Amino acid sequence: MPTTTPTDTLDFEITMMLLKVAILIILVFYAIFALIVVRQVDLMSKTLITKVSPILKAFSIIHAGFAIGLIVLAWGIL
Amino acid sequence: MFTAYVEHPTDCSFEGQDNDEKILLLLRAHPITNLKWIIPAVLLFLVPFFVPLVFQFLHLDLSTIPQTFEIVFLIINYLLVLIITFEGFLNWYFNVYIVTEKNLVDIDFHSLLFKNIDVAPLRNIEDTASSMGGILNSIFHYGNVFIQTAGASRNIDFHSVPRPHHVADFILDEAHKIYGRGRDAYHHPD
Repeated sequence: MPTTTPTDTLDFEITMMLLKVAILIILVFYAIFALIVVRQVDLMSKTLITKVSPILKAFSIIHAGFAIGLIVLAWGIL
Repeated sequence: MFTAYVEHPTDCSFEGQDNDEKILLLLRAHPITNLKWIIPAVLLFLVPFFVPLVFQFLHLDLSTIPQTFEIVFLIINYLLVLIITFEGFLNWYFNVYIVTEKNLVDIDFHSLLFKNIDVAPLRNIEDTASSMGGILNSIFHYGNVFIQTAGASRNIDFHSVPRPHHVADFILDEAHKIYGRGRDAYHHPD
């Protein structure tokens, strides 16, 4: 009958903790990237002005907000 | 709105456009060139469906991973799909070639924040050439247009645009019009 030793549990917890830190770092970089995309869309929209530009701008801002919100969510649930 | 070849586009302008300058032709790369980001996006979209099969194949137990981690991995995966799609679309939509009554304008966004705008006056255009080669190019009728300009100014190339031969001819016709106007302007029959 398999048993779980305290060392196994500790190893699992350390792995999960490292995974959590790795995910949070990835999400922070993603959020920074999302903010750069907002600036990029702004730059592009000023260069070529079309009817679609405001929609793309709004989308990039929502996307950046979601990326930042995801950090908080991941911090909370992991 | 989302086409690659628009003659006399309305509701569209660009940075540095004069008030009396009309856009005659707006070009983008042919939509089929978007396959280079659509295919990776679709594959990445399908990844979560194959993960359980891979785990099963490797005799690993997926249930050891907490469900919260699975959810976060899933969200990150679909965020990547979203950003690949969005970036691909942005690059296609905003990398344009414009022919106006006065100039040729080549707007390029190479990376996230690198912008390059080449402008060549139509009066400086000496020669145009077009090329079309390859299976996709022949099927979907798109190719490159090379525009040679006078003097030390940079040549302008339109890459993967629809109807390249027609575009090359169109640009040369417009240049001839300008040249004709210029010749008449300097012609003083006393």
